[in-house]
Amino acid sequence: MATPMIELDRVAKHYGGQAAVADVSFTIDKGEFIALMGPSGCGKTTTLRMIAGLDQPSSGEIRLWGRRLNEDAPWERDAPLVWQSYALFPFLSVRKNVEFGLKQRRLPAPERRKKAEEWMERLGIAGFAERGIDQLSGGQRQRVALARALALEPEMLLLDEPLSALDPHLRVRMQSELVRLHRELGITFICVTHSHSEAFAMADRVVIMNEGRIQQIGAPREIHRRAANRFVAEFVGGNNLFTGTARVEANGAIALESPVGTVHAPAPSEGGPASGTTATLVVPADRIELASAGTGTGNEVTARVVTVEFVGTTVTVFLETEGGGELRAQRSLHEIENTPLAVGQPVVARWSPSQGFFLPG
Amino acid sequence: MTRAPAGGRAPPAGLALPGTSPEGFMSETAPAPASSTAPPATVPSRRATGARFALFWGAPPALWQAAFFLVPLGFLVAMTFWSVKNFRLTPDSTLANWVFILNASFFRNAYVYTFWLSVFTALIASVAAFPAAYTLAYKVSPAARRFMIFMLVVPFFTSYPVRIYSTQIFFSPQGIINSALAPLGLGPLHVLNTPTGTVVGYLVLTLPLVVLLQTFALANVPRTLIEAAHNLGCGRFRTIATVIIPSARIGLIVAGTFAFVLAFGDYVAPTYLGGSKPPTLSILIADQVKSGNNWPRASVVAVMMIVTLMVVMLVMIGLAYGRRKGRA
Amino acid sequence: MSMAALRRLLLLAYTALVFAFIFAPIVSTIVFSFNADRFPSLPWGGFSLQWYEAIFADATIQRGLTNSLVVAGATCIIATFLGFSAAYVDYRYRFLGKSVYLALAALPPTVPVVILGVALLTFEGRVGLSGTLQGIIVGHVVLSTPFAMALVRMRLADLDPDIERAAWNLGASPWATMFGVIVPFCLPAILAALFLTAAVSFDEFMIAWFVSGVNETLPVRVLAMLQGQVSPRINAIGAIVFGVSITLIVLAQLLLGRLSGRAARRKG
Repeated sequence: MATPMIELDRVAKHYGGQAAVADVSFTIDKGEFIALMGPSGCGKTTTLRMIAGLDQPSSGEIRLWGRRLNEDAPWERDAPLVWQSYALFPFLSVRKNVEFGLKQRRLPAPERRKKAEEWMERLGIAGFAERGIDQLSGGQRQRVALARALALEPEMLLLDEPLSALDPHLRVRMQSELVRLHRELGITFICVTHSHSEAFAMADRVVIMNEGRIQQIGAPREIHRRAANRFVAEFVGGNNLFTGTARVEANGAIALESPVGTVHAPAPSEGGPASGTTATLVVPADRIELASAGTGTGNEVTARVVTVEFVGTTVTVFLETEGGGELRAQRSLHEIENTPLAVGQPVVARWSPSQGFFLPG
Repeated sequence: MTRAPAGGRAPPAGLALPGTSPEGFMSETAPAPASSTAPPATVPSRRATGARFALFWGAPPALWQAAFFLVPLGFLVAMTFWSVKNFRLTPDSTLANWVFILNASFFRNAYVYTFWLSVFTALIASVAAFPAAYTLAYKVSPAARRFMIFMLVVPFFTSYPVRIYSTQIFFSPQGIINSALAPLGLGPLHVLNTPTGTVVGYLVLTLPLVVLLQTFALANVPRTLIEAAHNLGCGRFRTIATVIIPSARIGLIVAGTFAFVLAFGDYVAPTYLGGSKPPTLSILIADQVKSGNNWPRASVVAVMMIVTLMVVMLVMIGLAYGRRKGRA
Repeated sequence: MSMAALRRLLLLAYTALVFAFIFAPIVSTIVFSFNADRFPSLPWGGFSLQWYEAIFADATIQRGLTNSLVVAGATCIIATFLGFSAAYVDYRYRFLGKSVYLALAALPPTVPVVILGVALLTFEGRVGLSGTLQGIIVGHVVLSTPFAMALVRMRLADLDPDIERAAWNLGASPWATMFGVIVPFCLPAILAALFLTAAVSFDEFMIAWFVSGVNETLPVRVLAMLQGQVSPRINAIGAIVFGVSITLIVLAQLLLGRLSGRAARRKG
């Protein structure tokens, strides 16, 4: 097997007695777009900072192309970081900011200038090359931060919550721009974010962390369809979790006595719940259809509408069953135009048994 | 995931303690410019680089202040136990200087006089400054306030002896004040060479600082608190007494304490406006050193002054912060 | 006139009185330095530059001024370096005994200069510094370093700690970061500290009086002249000293004002 580009091997970081990162291992290949995701305090930023050398692991090893990296000082590494606060040099012009890293490499002034020009052009900030940082908008600062890091033409780019300080409409634009840059440059991107929509929209693989430990690593699709545990299923959002008592049926499928009633799902290929044990079934909200009346096939739950939330053209409907079970369905607007959804109205929520999956025991 | 400035590597624990060897510090000075211009041919271990860097910046201030502030003060204390034999200082461990000074009536009188005159000055300065600080804090525009605060900083950095000289001229028998009073049938005022003259000089020294510190203290009282008091029907003077002064207490006490500290240590005002009659502690020190040449005895007076200042500052800090804690 | 307006007027009048008390000595020094009469009194005896001519003819005053300028020049450079270093260490590091370290750096101005003077005199007598300009410089650095430290520390409070790390991250060693990021960022405060510490040193008379011996600085000369007869030459020296100090303070203030103005605009 070829050596992976970056390897984290049982890496931990303690502050005082507190473990910010506890035993984290994973590898990153050249050219991948990796998102480190989790709630605040989960250790994702510390992990990124250890890759940049800004924090030193308490134990474990970080390797780059098989070489131990732990003792390399941050200024000896080739891992420029785009900071959440941008951390631009406030007393330098845009151009001098972009040239800063090149100057540290003692590139002659004409080449420095040419390279800076190139990257400012590429990121659309050549127009304010001579401006000071305090004369720029948030979006422009973000581009300066990117240009400053990319001008070094590194083999990896680190991003710490790159979009969190931007307005919502800029965020979406920048998101697609990051994806485009990643595709064009072919270098490794490692991006820390707390937002699953950002992570899933941009990354090839997502590393989900909680309390200093990795919860799941996988492609966005995989994580959506096969959450490894309850934390992931809840954190990625948009999932219904039904917990109840399992019963293996004659055809091998599993019936679950849950707060929303008896629902069915296929048994997982290995390690499915045994009869009489407690199991949790995950059903993505966007797989649940709403109808005025049932058809008698698949899973069907009758429930009353509690609230309806509109986000763009997506509608999330929160429902409650007679027995007090809660579930939600996510549909696009046009799909439910003909379904009356007044609050208190009873509707039928339906989904095919194959859309649900059980969390590993 | 601390973002505190110290989140980086901590320097070795011994950093910047007086014990750090001066040779080590000197050898650090040479590579400084070199390593910032030459490419790192051999990469030093990050820990060593970090420690050297921390030492280069951390050690000099500590070494300087240790060598030229701490050591001289320690030396001063040590010298109180020395003796003078045949006009020569001799290291010793005698209590004779302490016994002599503490029993000398000229010291006791000077101590009591200096202490109470400084307390009096602190009170006068605090009371005299308050209406002005109140005006600066509440009654003028922010731009005017900024300008006046700057003006108050200026005297702090202008030759104090010259200002005392000027004051001396003002109060001299043929000076401006007495020549203005004479036609009115008043005066002449005898201020020079009296304790009053000393207090006037102390006020020249302390008043700008007291106004300044009081203004900061009052400006920091939340406006909403004052407005709330007015809304509750508090009169102007009751608002000042029950809301503003208690809220600004710490700053007001600090201002008064500074006035005391400055007056207690001053040499110029009691000498040139007070006429050294009676002498203050600083005059005793100067006389002992400059003419009497009995340094150990001067050191005893100096140590007594330091101890007094420390006690006063501790008591004032207690007064400023203590009662609030009790009430909370 | 309403009660409130009257009250405000009274307060302003009182404040003007306090400022008059504070500034009368300064103003009269300058005014009477141009007075032809020997004794500074009213009425005004006519405009004259004779006292300035007198002090420029006086070799002891000349020497005092030169000594003062040398001492202030050396003091401001050393004190600003030390103050900057201490402020940076406070900003950047956390370590055992830090409060002791900071107290050591910041405490000297709380000790009366009389005592500092005696302590330095006795100590410097032992190490052969007393009676030299170096001896005065040493004391003035002790006294003025805290001022430089306070100014730089205030500036550093506005520096996002990430910025230093961002420089490392872009390949700048701590040394390159210091001279490429920290120093440029602090430059206005560093210049202000240079001016302020120079002003502190230029006006300091007590330590200098104890330590100077025959190498009198200008304020020490003034102190010696105060003991003698009333002399309008003191007014002329005073006017020059005020001029120098106020220039230094105004320069420092302008630099700091530009900073705070910029900070306000950033926040606004």
